[in-house]
Amino acid sequence: MDNNKFVEVKNLRKVYDNGHEAIKNVSFSVKKGDLVCLLGPSGCGKTTILNMLAGLLNPTAGEILFDGKSMVKVAPKDRHIGYVFQNYALYPHMTVLQNVMFPLTVGKNKRSKAEAKKVAQKYMQLTQIMDLADQKPGNLSGGQQQRVAIARALVQEPKILLMDEPLSNLDARLRLKIREEIRSLVKSVGITTLFVTHDQEEALSIGDKIILFNDGIIQQDDLGQNFYLEPNNYFVANFIGNPVIDNFKVIKTDQELRSSQFTIPLALLDASRFKRNLPNGEYILSVRPENITPQKDGFLHVKVDDVELIGRERILKFTYDQVQARSLINLEESIQPGDEVTLQLKFNRIFIFTPGGERVY
Amino acid sequence: MKRIRFGVLISYLILFIFAIITVFPFVYMILGGLMSFQETTSIPPTLIPHHFEWNNYAKVFARAPFARYFFNTILTASVTTLVSLFNSLLGAFAMVNLRFKGKGLVQMILLSLLMVPGEAIIFTNYNTIAKMGLLNTYIGLVLPFLTSIFYMYYLQSYFGSISTTIYKAAMIDGASDWDYIWKILVPMSKSGLFTVGLLSFISGWNSFLWPLLVTNEDTMRLLNNGLSSFASDAGSETQLQLAAATLTVLPVLVLYFIFRKQIIKGVVRNDLKG
Amino acid sequence: METNQKKAWLFLAPTIIFVTLFSIYPILRALGMSFQSGSLIDLHWSGLNNYQYIFHDPEFWLALRNTALYAIISVPLGLVISIMLAWIIFDKVKHQSFFETTFFMPYVTSTIAIGIVFRYIFNGDYGMLNFILRLLHLPAPNWIDDPAWSLVTIIIFGIWTSLAFNIVILMGALRNIDPNFYTIADMYGASDKDKFWRITMPELVPTLAFLLTMNIIGAFKIYTSVYALFNGQAGIGNSGTTAVFYIYNKFQIVGTPGVAMAATVILFLLILFATFLQRKMIKKIGEN
Repeated sequence: MDNNKFVEVKNLRKVYDNGHEAIKNVSFSVKKGDLVCLLGPSGCGKTTILNMLAGLLNPTAGEILFDGKSMVKVAPKDRHIGYVFQNYALYPHMTVLQNVMFPLTVGKNKRSKAEAKKVAQKYMQLTQIMDLADQKPGNLSGGQQQRVAIARALVQEPKILLMDEPLSNLDARLRLKIREEIRSLVKSVGITTLFVTHDQEEALSIGDKIILFNDGIIQQDDLGQNFYLEPNNYFVANFIGNPVIDNFKVIKTDQELRSSQFTIPLALLDASRFKRNLPNGEYILSVRPENITPQKDGFLHVKVDDVELIGRERILKFTYDQVQARSLINLEESIQPGDEVTLQLKFNRIFIFTPGGERVY
Repeated sequence: MKRIRFGVLISYLILFIFAIITVFPFVYMILGGLMSFQETTSIPPTLIPHHFEWNNYAKVFARAPFARYFFNTILTASVTTLVSLFNSLLGAFAMVNLRFKGKGLVQMILLSLLMVPGEAIIFTNYNTIAKMGLLNTYIGLVLPFLTSIFYMYYLQSYFGSISTTIYKAAMIDGASDWDYIWKILVPMSKSGLFTVGLLSFISGWNSFLWPLLVTNEDTMRLLNNGLSSFASDAGSETQLQLAAATLTVLPVLVLYFIFRKQIIKGVVRNDLKG
Repeated sequence: METNQKKAWLFLAPTIIFVTLFSIYPILRALGMSFQSGSLIDLHWSGLNNYQYIFHDPEFWLALRNTALYAIISVPLGLVISIMLAWIIFDKVKHQSFFETTFFMPYVTSTIAIGIVFRYIFNGDYGMLNFILRLLHLPAPNWIDDPAWSLVTIIIFGIWTSLAFNIVILMGALRNIDPNFYTIADMYGASDKDKFWRITMPELVPTLAFLLTMNIIGAFKIYTSVYALFNGQAGIGNSGTTAVFYIYNKFQIVGTPGVAMAATVILFLLILFATFLQRKMIKKIGEN
């Protein structure tokens, strides 16, 4: 038994009947007790993976191991999992108590009614829905339904909890509250949790680690901050971060990186950060908006198109090479649309990608 | 303003005339069944009988085994309804929730069979039942109607409107398909199943051509066949014919008035034919 | 899931068995029998003889003519009346469900029983209908016993029966029209007439197409109501015979199942053709 590989997925592939290859080749593992976020834009295959983990979909190829045992041929009900659906999937004709008890009244986990009720009540207490016991799901708010769904998922005392966009049907304020609750709840129960979301902020705040998917493959499998500081590739750099990263087309020569209006001598860059020897040619220089800011002696001269207020900061928008770019500035700075400013880069915070998206610096 | 009022008045007039045309035969049937023979054939026609001849009903029961017809009809309509509902339930569940090879083909065949008018196959079915030696039996009366593609199709659309995650959740909760059907699908679709059951029962109650073909013994007749042969036998005794017709129609009308909301909703929901 | 395969077929088994036995087999068997002669217990192949026979049988042509006339007259008339009534109920009446319940009654009642009542009302001598007609100084024909009038009687009864389903379905469709359409039309000052022809009717087209198909198919299958009106006969001297009557007669009474099945095949093809034709027509209307 390897607690570092409590959940292990090897070379997983899924081709749907219509020929769509949703998952190309995916391998990852999850440590026991961790809360891992599967993150990605819609249609990236993250829910497909969750469904395969649950046994609701059969993989076309590959292996799924829970606690070292292969699960590919095991029925969903025998996988010792709990699942929280995006729409909660509560049984509308049953009361909250009956919903939570249901897993204990059918199949292998069947227990006496009294015992089932006791266990159900334990988890209803944990999720604070005791006072809703006799209500029907239709009368509950989104947040309450969410708790019922979690209680029902936990009542079989599964080893692994799978959650598919559990917060997407809630309003913004409630989402913040419930996501904290979910994290503290699964941590207190100590259950290994896979949490699917398309919301990077949610993933960053809740996950012990994040696995970012796109196009049916893993883009990066890492701790949250590393997506920000050390993105694996162009997709990751652009997916993570709000406001989104600025990208500039540059030509590399022997001496410098040259754009239409600025040049950066290679000497200014940190030689140790180059991943490999770069041939001369076209590249993309990317920099997060907070690392390209107005400064008197800046090297990039632009006209401000617009200034947008976002809470404590402001986004200064400008057009460069016909592409809009952003700079994050302090609330106090008195820059107005139409002003001309010069911007300066933090050279140790830039990334360089090949046109194909590979990160090289 | 005046013109609009006039239009509304005309509309009401049309509506009431047609409402009377619709209801009158029923009222007249009930009233006529309580008239004396003279009253039914008088000119001008009698509308309200002078004296309610309840005796007409006694005569009807005395002349033809209507009690037996009732029993036969209730039995066959109930069996047909329950079994076809059960079969449609299982079939619709499989078509909606299970994934299997050949599903598309099955669906296509069933849908095209839905277009085949019953009258086109009823005679060859008679032939089949005759060959099986099942003429004048209850089994022969119900056998071809123990599945209904139509009701199965109706239930499919009903079940299809239940979120697929409900089925997935049940699978993860450890329920078997059988558990799912009886503990989740059926309770969740109660009103749909009930409506289908009612409509199936009513159409079983009103069935005519099939029992006409497969039964010729008086003891095996269903209500409508009994009624029609009674109408021929009773000849000119209109009051008895009307009493017998009332007997046939009233139970269904009572059912209808009790469950009118479900019945109409069910019919509109899927353009259900009888 | 591999295990689903077997399970699925198991759940479908009762349906598939019964459908094969009592829906698919009889269709093929009917087709086969239409090329066979003899009685049920002694069938032999006879090629197209049955088809030749029915096409030279004036009774068959009369049955087809009656069926077609019935369909062509009763279906559009029934639909127009239904639209009118549904619209009045929907637009002008408060107690919609009361009228809906009333008009739907004929749908659930036995055609045989109500046919007996109609036979009584239609009676030439002491029937209620002729009493009223005479009061109004209108001609009072012998609805039941005059062969010239049998088809008219059948059509009137057919329309009466068909209103129920049509009205209820149309009411459902009317309720489905987004009320904002009318609110906006009111804002632009549309008249009742404008609203009916430019919002209601176009919105009803799919429903009307469906009802037209259902009604035509139903009309082609007419049997029970004739049987009920004329007490088991097809009118005096078979004047009101219909396609299904013809089939029943040839199959059960005359004992020539091959002929009956040939007529069945023709009827089936006619229904298919009518359905197909309507689909084409509706498509054209939809495109314009």
